[in-house]
Amino acid sequence: MTVPLPTQVFPGRILTVTLPAGDGGTPVTVGGQNALPLAPEGEKPNPAAIGMEIRTGNAELPPSLAKAFEGRETDPVSLAMVSADAWGARFLFLSLDGCHPDCGGLRIEDGARIVRDVLAAVSCPVIVGGCGEEEIDAKLFPAAAEAATRPVFLSYADERNYRLVGGAALAYGHGVVAWSPIDINMAKQANLLLSDIGVPPERILIDPLTGGLGYGLEYTFSIVERIRLAGLSGDAMLARPVLCHLGDAWKAREAVDTSETSWGDPGLRGRRWEEATGWACLAAGADLLVFRHPGNVRAFREATWR
Amino acid sequence: MTETFCSSCIIGARSVISLARASLSHNIAGRGANAPLGYPDTAYELPVAFGLTDLKVATLVDGEKVLDLAEGLIRNSPTLENALEAGAATLLAADVLGALSHKDGNPFPPPSTGFIPDSILRKLGIFMVDGSVPGVAVVIGKASDPSAAAAMIRGFQEIGLLVFLAGSVVQQMDKAGVKLGDDFKTFPLGPLPAVIHAVNFAVRAGLTFGGIGRGQSAAMYSYLSNRVKAFVCALGPMDEIGLAVIAGAMKAGFPVLSDRNLPEVPGSLFRSPAGEEMVRAGMEARGIKAKIVKVPIPIAFGPAYEGERIRKSDTWAEFGGGRGPAYELVVSAPISEVRDKEITVTGPDIPDMPKGGTLPLGIVVRVAGGRMQKDFESVLERRIHRIVNYGEGTMHVAQRDTTWIRVSCEAQSKGFGLADLGMMLYAKIHSDFENIVDRVSVAIHTREKDVLEGMAFARKLYAERDARARTLTDDAVEEFYSCTLCQSFAPNHVCIVAPERLGLCGAINWLDGKAGYEITPTGPNQPVLKGAVLDPVKGAWDGVNAFVREHSRNTVPGFNLYSIMDAPMTSCGCFECIIAVIPEANGFMVVNREFEGSETPCGMGFSTLAGSVGGGIQTPGFMGVGKHYLLSRRFLAAEGGLPRIVWMTKEMKEHLGADLSARAAEIGMPDLVGKIADETIAVTPEQLVQHLKKAGHPALSMPPLL
Repeated sequence: MTVPLPTQVFPGRILTVTLPAGDGGTPVTVGGQNALPLAPEGEKPNPAAIGMEIRTGNAELPPSLAKAFEGRETDPVSLAMVSADAWGARFLFLSLDGCHPDCGGLRIEDGARIVRDVLAAVSCPVIVGGCGEEEIDAKLFPAAAEAATRPVFLSYADERNYRLVGGAALAYGHGVVAWSPIDINMAKQANLLLSDIGVPPERILIDPLTGGLGYGLEYTFSIVERIRLAGLSGDAMLARPVLCHLGDAWKAREAVDTSETSWGDPGLRGRRWEEATGWACLAAGADLLVFRHPGNVRAFREATWR
Repeated sequence: MTETFCSSCIIGARSVISLARASLSHNIAGRGANAPLGYPDTAYELPVAFGLTDLKVATLVDGEKVLDLAEGLIRNSPTLENALEAGAATLLAADVLGALSHKDGNPFPPPSTGFIPDSILRKLGIFMVDGSVPGVAVVIGKASDPSAAAAMIRGFQEIGLLVFLAGSVVQQMDKAGVKLGDDFKTFPLGPLPAVIHAVNFAVRAGLTFGGIGRGQSAAMYSYLSNRVKAFVCALGPMDEIGLAVIAGAMKAGFPVLSDRNLPEVPGSLFRSPAGEEMVRAGMEARGIKAKIVKVPIPIAFGPAYEGERIRKSDTWAEFGGGRGPAYELVVSAPISEVRDKEITVTGPDIPDMPKGGTLPLGIVVRVAGGRMQKDFESVLERRIHRIVNYGEGTMHVAQRDTTWIRVSCEAQSKGFGLADLGMMLYAKIHSDFENIVDRVSVAIHTREKDVLEGMAFARKLYAERDARARTLTDDAVEEFYSCTLCQSFAPNHVCIVAPERLGLCGAINWLDGKAGYEITPTGPNQPVLKGAVLDPVKGAWDGVNAFVREHSRNTVPGFNLYSIMDAPMTSCGCFECIIAVIPEANGFMVVNREFEGSETPCGMGFSTLAGSVGGGIQTPGFMGVGKHYLLSRRFLAAEGGLPRIVWMTKEMKEHLGADLSARAAEIGMPDLVGKIADETIAVTPEQLVQHLKKAGHPALSMPPLL
């Protein structure tokens, strides 16, 4: 006698969102699923997309990352090209952290120029991130949005700056990453607010803030899972693809500290730390992952998961 | 008078159409019907036609179609409706004329800009969406007093409005030295007809930022009137063409303010003298609020200083706190009765005082706003405490007529005066309650006679408010308010805040929830319709349960507001105190957060108990609540209410003090409080029961809990 496995059927479906590519490039389409990850049932037309962060700032890198970048850490264009071509990133997250006063203090015009240069050099989809300094970002987002020669996503809009980032996206036809601090209600609110100013739903991604392993990952896991369950249960404002930026994994002491020899090879630890964080995010339901280590991009690209 | 106005608008519209026809024929004759027609540097052809009609315009002959359509809108009978339609026709025809005049670029001499290209629209549009450009002022005509008009335009610039000028006012302002150009967001468009470039700018804003497609005229009109916060200042006499343009603006939903004798049309056409009054009128007609970036006071101001205490030796000036009469009051008033930013100090001020001096103090904040409700007065008033504490060198304790304020010597040395205190209140109430408050004024009195008079009046209002609060019962309202603020760490917890059960953190009562919803409609406080009563004693409603189910994402099926034993409300972790069942005593104990001991009759202190109560789970017999819920008529109503309390910490008893005794008296047990044990009387169930028996506590004879 066979017992049929119970399958859960959800009434909702995650919205399909496409990150546009440049001429000759391959767009990234995510979402469209009507089931949870790892579960056998349901339709999952689009696998999670693996992307690489391209930094512009001069903050000191953990040695293992510096080594992996093969001397490109100060050249975002070169790093972007190798990430997209050799390392296999399907999209790039161009972080304009270099415009932060603590990370090089590039001028707004320099940030805009880097956006232009990177977009000219690669054809894959690009997400452009601000520097995190509110006053600078208020000028940087409009400038980057204007400089972008093709549609990108701007990251990120939150409860405070959503009008500015949403406005910049509307003005030049870009998408928006809606950020919230590990809080499902604020994730929903950010989407509501962006909708309210007219940003179309198919141009919004959810960034729930990703805590690194040991530093809040379990909260992120729970929130991503709950966002997904809410979306699948019919909450349209949460039925959107989720982006997890794994950068925080590199902030864990265990990932980079070289003083504890018993913790194993520091050259490998950071990468593993990021990898573990990434797997957990995928299991929770993330649709886009942003990595810092090229080795992880490769590993996740090859995984035929979901 | 309206009829004359309307008929002039219609005549004006016809003139504009004829002018456009003449110019178009002339162009066709010279350049051929298929010569291009359009503005330079735009993706939207003739924007007005693009936004309001289905007509595609590429060539001169297409222009004729636009004019035919415009002509078709015109009706002769001079009604307001026909005037507005004629206004629409004027805008269409004027856009044709405007485009024709731009065939070789900007036709006007500097400083006039003519058509504003898309690139500038996109840049400025971001700041309009962002709110840093809070609105648009279109100033047309010829000022009879150029210096007053210049002051007005500088006023607009100061507020950060986008300003368009058209007509003689361009030269007048240039001559008056008003700064013009991109950097000042002030665009001198050209002669009066060039005002169409303000209109086609607004239309393109709708097309770019509003997601509106070609020819979606209803959506476009709605965007123009609701989203583009523009108003028109018409200076000096207007000829028929000018009036037709005004009608066009009104049709687009832009209120028009005129300094001439035009008929008033409610919500649409106003009379106002040019100058400061017009700035105010325009801002109010569009609900535009100036953002206060930095509060202009001599001391630092912000939440960082909230916890600062000022010791007696560091105190320069002191008000209230038993050293003299002092009170604070927030009252709402009709909009016409509050002058925004009016801050008055009557009587001696801080600089007049010796070190360590005291003065009587009366603070009256008057607020007005379309969405202000009388019920919110107390919510705003309670905020005074926090706002005053935000100052570096100002300290605030208590409220109402027990208020106590200290100003430090350091603040005094920086020149801090009572007007600065008024400015703090003004600025912060504006920014914290911008959705409900449009105007704020602050009056501060320090003469004893004034203060005593004002205090008598304030006490009357406090009493009225308290009386109102007593009528606010769970049965008297249709909706409760949710609070999901804590879902960040207690993901399935939903607080339901009812008039007779405040939030468990003690920080949010029903009125706060209601105000919170008005302030942030997408925020954590949402109205919860009670729906049908499922159990009036336990406090269950189907609407509440449906809300809780949805917002706990199907983990909590619902709860009883007045029961602790049967499906109690969940707790996040912020509760002021915990109620726990003591089966041996047939009652409950209450322990507050500040209680540091671990010796209680249930064997657990606050922190141990908190672990089993928090996190959004339902644990019958255990519940976190706000301290003041103990005084509610609905407190544990399902289990018998206050007589069930057999033990509470001494600190709780002291904190609730007279209010607790009053509540006990209200239920006919004036000696109940004396019968409740505390940690000095009993710390084990045995000791407790012994005490209860001796004291004759009512819980022992109540129906068994288990």
